[in-house]
Amino acid sequence: MSGTHEGTFQGLRAQLQEAAATFADGPDALEGILLGIVDDVDRAVREPLEIFPVCHHSPASAIAMARRLREKRPKVVYLELCEDMAPLLTELRNCKLPVAVQSFATEVEGFPAEWSPLSVVAPITEASAEYQAIAYALDTPGVELVLVDRSSDHVFQWDARGTESAEPADPAAPPAEEEATLHGDAVGVEIGDLRPRFAELEEYLLRHGKVRHWSEWWHQYVELPLGDSDHDTYRQVMLLIGSLFRRLAPGDPHRVRVDEDRERYMWTRMREHLAAAGADPADCLYVCGAFHAASRVAEFGVHGTDTFEISPPTATTWQHGLIPSSHAAIEAQFGLAAGSVSIAATVWAKNLGRTRVEPFRLVGQVGAKKSRARKAVAAAAAVPALPPSDKLTGFLRQTPALDRLDEAELLGWSVEIVRAARRNGYLASTADAIAVFETSILLAGMRDRTRPTPYDFQDAAVTCIEKDTVPGRRDVRRLVDIMMGGDRVGQVGYDALPPLARDVHDRLAPLGLKLQQSGVRRALLDITSQPELERCSDVLWMLRYLMPQGVARPIMGERKLGERPIQESWDLALGTHQRALIELGYEGVSIEQVLEQRLRRLAYDRRATAASVLEAVEDATLYLRSRRLADELGTHALEVLSAERSVDGAPEVLRRVRRLLAYYRTSEAVLPPWIESFVKTGYAHYCTLLPTAFTDDDATVRQVAAMLGFLFSMESLALSLGCDRNQLELAVVQSHPEEPSRTALLWAAQVHLGRLSRADLRARCDELLGNPLVVPAYPRYLSGFVHALDPVPGLTDFVVEAVSNAFGRLPDPVLLPWLPTLITTLRSGGSELAPLLIREAGRTFPGRLAALDTWVPPWRAQPEAVRPARPVEAGHGCALLAAHPATCDAVASLLGCEGTWETADSGPAGVALAGRHPDTAVALEALLADA
Amino acid sequence: MSDLLRAPAEIKYAEELEWLESVDDSPKPFSWRLSPKMVRLFILGSERSDGLDREISQKWYGDRSFVERSIVTLASDRGLLLIGDPGTGKSWLAELLSAAICRNSTLVVQGTAGTTEDHIKYSWNVSMVIAKGQSRESMIPSPIMTAMESGAIGRFEELTRSTSDVQDALISILSEKYISVPELDSDGIVFAKPGFSIIATANSRDRGVNDLSSALKRRFNFVRIPVVTNKKNEVEIVRFRTEELLRRHQIELEVPPTLLDVLLQSFADLRASAAAAGSDDEKLESALSTAEQIGVLEDAVLHSNFFGERALTARTLASSLVGSLARREPEDLAILNKYLHGVVEPRSKEEGGSWPEFLEGGRDAIATLS
Repeated sequence: MSGTHEGTFQGLRAQLQEAAATFADGPDALEGILLGIVDDVDRAVREPLEIFPVCHHSPASAIAMARRLREKRPKVVYLELCEDMAPLLTELRNCKLPVAVQSFATEVEGFPAEWSPLSVVAPITEASAEYQAIAYALDTPGVELVLVDRSSDHVFQWDARGTESAEPADPAAPPAEEEATLHGDAVGVEIGDLRPRFAELEEYLLRHGKVRHWSEWWHQYVELPLGDSDHDTYRQVMLLIGSLFRRLAPGDPHRVRVDEDRERYMWTRMREHLAAAGADPADCLYVCGAFHAASRVAEFGVHGTDTFEISPPTATTWQHGLIPSSHAAIEAQFGLAAGSVSIAATVWAKNLGRTRVEPFRLVGQVGAKKSRARKAVAAAAAVPALPPSDKLTGFLRQTPALDRLDEAELLGWSVEIVRAARRNGYLASTADAIAVFETSILLAGMRDRTRPTPYDFQDAAVTCIEKDTVPGRRDVRRLVDIMMGGDRVGQVGYDALPPLARDVHDRLAPLGLKLQQSGVRRALLDITSQPELERCSDVLWMLRYLMPQGVARPIMGERKLGERPIQESWDLALGTHQRALIELGYEGVSIEQVLEQRLRRLAYDRRATAASVLEAVEDATLYLRSRRLADELGTHALEVLSAERSVDGAPEVLRRVRRLLAYYRTSEAVLPPWIESFVKTGYAHYCTLLPTAFTDDDATVRQVAAMLGFLFSMESLALSLGCDRNQLELAVVQSHPEEPSRTALLWAAQVHLGRLSRADLRARCDELLGNPLVVPAYPRYLSGFVHALDPVPGLTDFVVEAVSNAFGRLPDPVLLPWLPTLITTLRSGGSELAPLLIREAGRTFPGRLAALDTWVPPWRAQPEAVRPARPVEAGHGCALLAAHPATCDAVASLLGCEGTWETADSGPAGVALAGRHPDTAVALEALLADA
Repeated sequence: MSDLLRAPAEIKYAEELEWLESVDDSPKPFSWRLSPKMVRLFILGSERSDGLDREISQKWYGDRSFVERSIVTLASDRGLLLIGDPGTGKSWLAELLSAAICRNSTLVVQGTAGTTEDHIKYSWNVSMVIAKGQSRESMIPSPIMTAMESGAIGRFEELTRSTSDVQDALISILSEKYISVPELDSDGIVFAKPGFSIIATANSRDRGVNDLSSALKRRFNFVRIPVVTNKKNEVEIVRFRTEELLRRHQIELEVPPTLLDVLLQSFADLRASAAAAGSDDEKLESALSTAEQIGVLEDAVLHSNFFGERALTARTLASSLVGSLARREPEDLAILNKYLHGVVEPRSKEEGGSWPEFLEGGRDAIATLS
């Protein structure tokens, strides 16, 4: 293609000039555009380095590429793909396509932190021109593949995020299916993005093409006519389309600038490579989107200017890998019509058979049929380059090539869709197959084509089979999509996985499951009979912690501190969530390492609380069994706790510390130093905060109760470590709550500390119930008592009494509105306290209905039974003892007591004591005498 | 034409249809007056690229594929059932299709709870039967039978409103394409001529009132017409229908584009709120279809013309909107009140324009109705 022929397109130019003059009444913008297009084509065709324009997911491009590569056998292939993705391409052979090459960065430097994680994906399907180029270049000795597009880093450097608003979603679009979200929220890059850049042009083309969406238009007006065309025609037509879209739509200036910068980038890289490798441009092929092939930047071409300076990448560290992709994901990412990529794949397969073009395929490609192909190298010898000739005029003049009706194919489709519809609950019959067949032909006829396209067929099937309701999960439109090839989900092969993912698969190998395949697998682990499976269990629990929901789901079995697994069963979907596992692989080489990083990140986060750090400690112990990490994080928890000024996390801290303490007490000889310090610090910390928390409106009763719980239940340990009980007593004395529930809590604390007797507490409650002014607040006191069950479990019987009294004595207007609150409080906040209450109530109340009539509540029975009985009882006992002194004497002699028997009614009780120990009385006398 | 209150499509567009027929050289199925492509062109309007000497206006607004699928169904062996919410233009599309295909859109059976089999097949002129006995002369053919005899399109409006046994009378008509008249000894079968087909419409909101039997469903191709949500299309429809209306009433009154925007926007808002509503009490009883918008505008235009200052104002529009949409008291009024205060009031402060006046009018109307 080195020959330069000035007059190649002279004829076409003249015609267009004439057309412009006719339609626009004279030379103006139209002429400029039309002639500009021809100039663009002319320039690209004359370029010494052969430019091969492609369009993404276009079987015509792929066929033309395969054909051209066999003819030309270039020594260097330049490809429009992020240059940093090059090392991964050879791994494609280990994958089932479609997969996407991914660049991923979690730690960003030079970009706003909220962009993290950065992810770029370039999906690759088998029916694409780029795969042909890659397969040819990688498997042909002496051929070099050079990726020339900007790096993933530059994708974000040139990104205008935040300045542009997101495109509104199509309201009619169905919710994304699982397969459509395979790429996550990555930025997609693709080779050969070719679509009108302004909506009016696209709308115009669709309206006049009598098609519904862009993919259909492309299929009808470019794909089909270009299917069998020769290389020159293909190239010139693609260039023409690229140039047309470019010239007609200046569009968004930012986007245009990025596009032009990319062209400058690519040409600069290519010139650099040509100079470094000393390659002859005639032996090279540049594969890029038709849009970029019609570029007008100064840097364009082998002889372009070298004025573009490539900015250095940021310090962000990029990781690369392959992730599974799917047709649906590609369609969703690039805004293509549903099913279009699948249809492209079907057309590609059919075209291969029809044109007998032998495609390139990577040696050992997973998922490909056994190739009958001989070695690619043995194919036709290179064809000598011919000077370009004008193929455009002929192409533009010819009437649209009508594909003949393929009756057998359409019949097959019609029968197939009826069968599929029946399987999905439709009442479809042979009559429907006939109707679909007939309607397809009629519809195609109305749309000026002889042969119904898959889209016509889809419309016909919907018309004839779809009724008022969809009986199953899928409607007819979706069924046609599936029939036309359906979605194909790719898979990354074992060898192309990152080390972490391979390690996971290796370690789960003892389970004997095909975890690489998609779908859910059930794993049964009988660890008692196969102890080696415990290691698998460890891995599974870590996966459950690290990966999204649904990857590893335990059906039976749990992991708790201090417990050993016996039997477990799991639902595993590693194959389905391959992307998540691969992205995990970017964070480290083993899951332990990633887990440790995550736990550490969690614990050292700016917003970490003592509770969250303790959680990390617990997780480190549970999943990693790492005492080292647990100690480190525990020590950090101590620091976080001391710095905390609120008591929000108190309940959680209490729960976790209790659990950890119980665990260390049973499993370790001595407690880890950090937890001892934690208890000590916590004791002092909560003592200090207690008075404030009692009066602070922001602190809830539950939190204050948890603080008291910490103080009371850790007391013995704290005191043994050198804390002072005085501190607690002082803290309680200093507390003056006003709110009823907190007051009740304080009373309970006072009872626990012995500062308030139960009788006094009971009297206070009676007083509350007796005072009509305070009665409405009684339920809130009760709520305080219920919360007090945790720190002061000894009060359970009293709480049952208080609740019973409430039911018995509260007036209905107070009681009834409160009942729902009591129930909801008990359900949400007191789930662990309710059993305690119920057990106590069961003990207190009679078990049978008959017993209820004679039942007297113990708290009411006590005063009558005990009080008058006391002197009598004393008398009884004394009389008995006096009557049978032998036992008492024997016990006294055994204990070594000396004394004599005294009469019972010798005087008021205590007189004997005063006589025996007179010092107190003497001192008192002296004191009184002084006064 | 002028002496008819509402001329059917074939009379209204007679001249256009004649012209189209004269230039149509494509093959026509059965006895169709126009080829399928021309039918489409008649309904959806012409483009410059169609290469016609005159412009054909667009008469039905909606997705092109609905029209294509409908035409193709009529050219096939099956009947066409247009299904959709009230006010989506089903009957208008049916009328246009019949007018274009056979120049007769008046062979209509209206489905009601009182529709009997006689309305679908035939009945007898009792006095003639007494005088002359049962013969073809004394028989009164139904519109469907007339369509069969003349190879035209018969229409069945609101199919699901008629009872199931009446609906099922269509089964044999659609499959065997004849009606037998057992009362006649000879000539007892009326055969359909080529070109006969049926366009039925059904209201998707009434589905379940009298659900179609599966045997009948099989004989119909369903084309679902959705509520127009595309703003551009809706503007076109409202403008098209209003102009027609003004012409019919011979009213010379300008509908300011800003008021049209206000109307469309308020319907869009109310639709959004209906979509978000949890129960029926929280949404308006009205389906808020395009037809209803036209109704509101018609009411406002007539009111301004006869009682107002011969100019449409936002105030009149608001009172028509409230008047047309408030059907239940207090639910609908409460919703409209909430809409006026929650949506229109902030908007009138922000955007100004016609909104403050619209708000005022709405408030007054609600106050009058409450």
